[in-house]
Amino acid sequence: MTELKYIGKPARRVDALEKVTGKAKYIADRKLPGMLYARCLRSETPHGRIVQLDTAPALAVPGVQAVITSEDFFEHGLYGFPVKDKYMLAYQKVRYVGEAIAAVAADTPEAALAGVQAIICELEPLPAVFDPDHALDPDAPQIGPDRPDGKHPNFLDLLIVRKADPLAEWERSPVKLDQRYSVGPQEHAYIEPEGALAVPTREGGVIVYAPNQSPFVNQGNLAMVLDLPHNLVRVIQPPVGGSFGGKDDLVYETSAQVAKLALVTGKPIRMVFSREESLIASYKRDAMRMRIRLGADPDGTLRACKFEGLLDSGAYASEATFTAWRASIHAMGAYKYNACDVDIACVYTNNSYSGAFRGFGNTEVCSAIEQAIDELADAVGMDPMDFRLKNCLRLGDETAHGQVLTESVGLPECIQTARRLSDWDRKRAEYSAPRTTQHALRRGIGVAALYHGTSLGAEGSDYASSTISVEQNYSVDLTSGLTDYGQGSRTVFTLIAAEELGVRPDRIHMQRPDTDTAVESGPTVASRSTMLGGNAARIAAGNLRQTLDFAAADLLGCELHQLIRADEAYVGPTEEPVAWEQVVDHARAMGLALSAHGKWTAPQITWNHHAGRGTPYMAYHFATQVAEVEVDMRTGVVQVIGFWAVHDPGKVIFPQGAYGQLYGGIAQGLGYALMEQITYTNGYLQETNFESYLIPTSVDVPEITAQFVEAPFSAGPYGAKNIAEPAMVPAAPAILNAIAHATGRRVRDLPANLERVLLGKDLTKGGSAKACKLGLKT
Amino acid sequence: MLIEFTLNHKPVMVDAPPDITLLELLRDHLGLTGAKEGCAVGECGACAVILDGRLVNSCLVLAPQAGGSDIVTIEGIHAPDGGPNDLQENFITYGAVQCGICIPGMVLAGEALLLKTLTPTRAEIRTALAGNLCRCTGYQQIVDAIEATAQQRRRQETGVRRSPGT
Repeated sequence: MTELKYIGKPARRVDALEKVTGKAKYIADRKLPGMLYARCLRSETPHGRIVQLDTAPALAVPGVQAVITSEDFFEHGLYGFPVKDKYMLAYQKVRYVGEAIAAVAADTPEAALAGVQAIICELEPLPAVFDPDHALDPDAPQIGPDRPDGKHPNFLDLLIVRKADPLAEWERSPVKLDQRYSVGPQEHAYIEPEGALAVPTREGGVIVYAPNQSPFVNQGNLAMVLDLPHNLVRVIQPPVGGSFGGKDDLVYETSAQVAKLALVTGKPIRMVFSREESLIASYKRDAMRMRIRLGADPDGTLRACKFEGLLDSGAYASEATFTAWRASIHAMGAYKYNACDVDIACVYTNNSYSGAFRGFGNTEVCSAIEQAIDELADAVGMDPMDFRLKNCLRLGDETAHGQVLTESVGLPECIQTARRLSDWDRKRAEYSAPRTTQHALRRGIGVAALYHGTSLGAEGSDYASSTISVEQNYSVDLTSGLTDYGQGSRTVFTLIAAEELGVRPDRIHMQRPDTDTAVESGPTVASRSTMLGGNAARIAAGNLRQTLDFAAADLLGCELHQLIRADEAYVGPTEEPVAWEQVVDHARAMGLALSAHGKWTAPQITWNHHAGRGTPYMAYHFATQVAEVEVDMRTGVVQVIGFWAVHDPGKVIFPQGAYGQLYGGIAQGLGYALMEQITYTNGYLQETNFESYLIPTSVDVPEITAQFVEAPFSAGPYGAKNIAEPAMVPAAPAILNAIAHATGRRVRDLPANLERVLLGKDLTKGGSAKACKLGLKT
Repeated sequence: MLIEFTLNHKPVMVDAPPDITLLELLRDHLGLTGAKEGCAVGECGACAVILDGRLVNSCLVLAPQAGGSDIVTIEGIHAPDGGPNDLQENFITYGAVQCGICIPGMVLAGEALLLKTLTPTRAEIRTALAGNLCRCTGYQQIVDAIEATAQQRRRQETGVRRSPGT
């Protein structure tokens, strides 16, 4: 292969300039003449029947132009994938505090709020379920509708993996572990709250500017609930101020509300959430309770894994069943077992609702299994690095699901590199030495290993499309149906297209998705953009390159194989370079089309849900992260003082972006491990702004040393796999393992807040409905 | 009420209600949308501006309090030719930008620090950024960009001071 010019080299993020100058127009920065401001009436009851909903008083409020309810949508606005269980505005019932019931459009934000407060909404409280352990009790209050299969209506799904008989193998194992772990919900905490702007069109349709993850999913939902043909619904992607899985369902809901209001009023409508509304109304990472039984031989050979998880989906399904599937696939960690069972059940409760969040189930289970692995290593008396190296997946191994790993397995190298970079052996020995009890500050070092399946896997059909064309001014226009909400995919696609086409990246204008100009590419989720969208861009650019090569050969009077490139220029046997623009002109003169399309479909893989066996993903990202902590034994404060991350994302396309994903993912994992706490007291969220929901600041995050082990994947563009989610997943267990090493005590419930670290238990705290009720009025 | 102050090196006079915040004044009355509302309670720093040389959260400043002050927003940060200045250029070069919503505040936090010192340690840079939340980057490349700018400006300053003697 010829040397790469742009792939893997320092590059400028395509949208960085508009962002550093403050010129990027996010949704809240967009305003149209005559635009109205929208706001939702939201439930202040965790579970209730709507017995009266009278919007007439709101319409009497000066400035209020329209009010809508579920009656204004086709089939009351029922939507949701894969489970269709939610309404764009609540219908008949509310199931969580913060659920939208009606939406008001008014001349000013103040009038919209006054309109919301004027609506007469009577909710008859229903008994609620807040403890997922009791969601399936025979007498538990019913949250979901009756199920046709006769199962408990609060039951959503059960996802399994099966290999041999792990309980028998566990009984026979000389060294056993049986422990329970839990993780709480986590808020995405994108700094840009949710919003959307709808503009009615002359043809009776609507244009929606929405900071959403998947514009085509949004378009499909809108067409469905507005009862409009797809061609009358256009969704345009503005810059998105962070998402991390969070700008799916709720932004589609917001989009439907403003779109309907725009159609009703004939005016542009914008809705932008306050931080309180964002925290109260938005879905979270699911809470999960887990029991893990592991068995090993005295020499440290892992034998059995029995993993049972209970996922709290909250009031609606959102992505919970997919999340639970990914959780089930990764629950046993990147290790070999003789026998392994995983069962992840998901249930409805009235604790807000759970949806997609970076790592998508793996973040939850990895924090448990990687602690369990450390505990078992301890029981065997082995160093955690040695234990992982002894049992980890290697090239040619078969996973617990029955998949043979035939390529791109960089895990052993990741473990060894992280060990060396972090000076593990010296620090582990030093911090393990007996310490005097008076020592207030104790240090520890911990590790976690990871594997994370690329893209959707057997969750669904997996494809993406790109279009490319040469414009009159010789710039190149590139589209993708996948969204860049900050992760850098537009830059990745630009670099790939530049490499294929042999032009400078700054010649390429990588468009944001617009359902009128881009081609549907599936959802922007599952860290699938680089591989799926990257391959689509590679194919599209390759197709255009072929056209230009024909033109160049014709112009230079030579055969295709005689062409070489000198930067952008083409050179033939005469060694006289012709500029790329000349080749473009010649192609036009020849009547050739200077536009192309590229679609890539991932190799077919299958998973048998009933047998719990199959090939869940086409490839895996592997990684090892090491955390060094200092724990103040007087206060429980944990400072992460060092962090090392060694990842195998396949080929790195855009290095600054890939490092940025790692650093940012680790920071989110650090928050998940130590400080990010979501508390529902009888369904009422207690943390309604950033003064109570703490996310890591620049002084909480240590200097991070990151390195890539690039084990190429043959089907990935230039060998690339993925990075965004795996960056976060192992950070929390690495930190938890370091805390256990420092203190000698293990915190098995996340986050490891001050009291859990200091006292080993939760302090009873009061909680009330007050913050939520106030937050919905500010 | 009439509020007069210096905004991005130019005098401005604006008629606005007295009970709005400086953030609302900038965004809704002056059309400057570079400062963002992330929390409205002074926790996130997305609305940060430089007021009389100090970094402040404009969501916590009442608009009338801006009267008579010297305010710099992200729209006032640029090179003489209108392009990105050295700090903004380093944000791009070091990969410090992801979703970008916090970046105006981060650039201003960097500028406010560099007004005070051109020899900050990385720990001092982190402390200067501690009031600005970023959910994407983990801060490291932002620290890299500010550190590199401090070094470049220090070299330039030294160069300027030396130049008469050379």
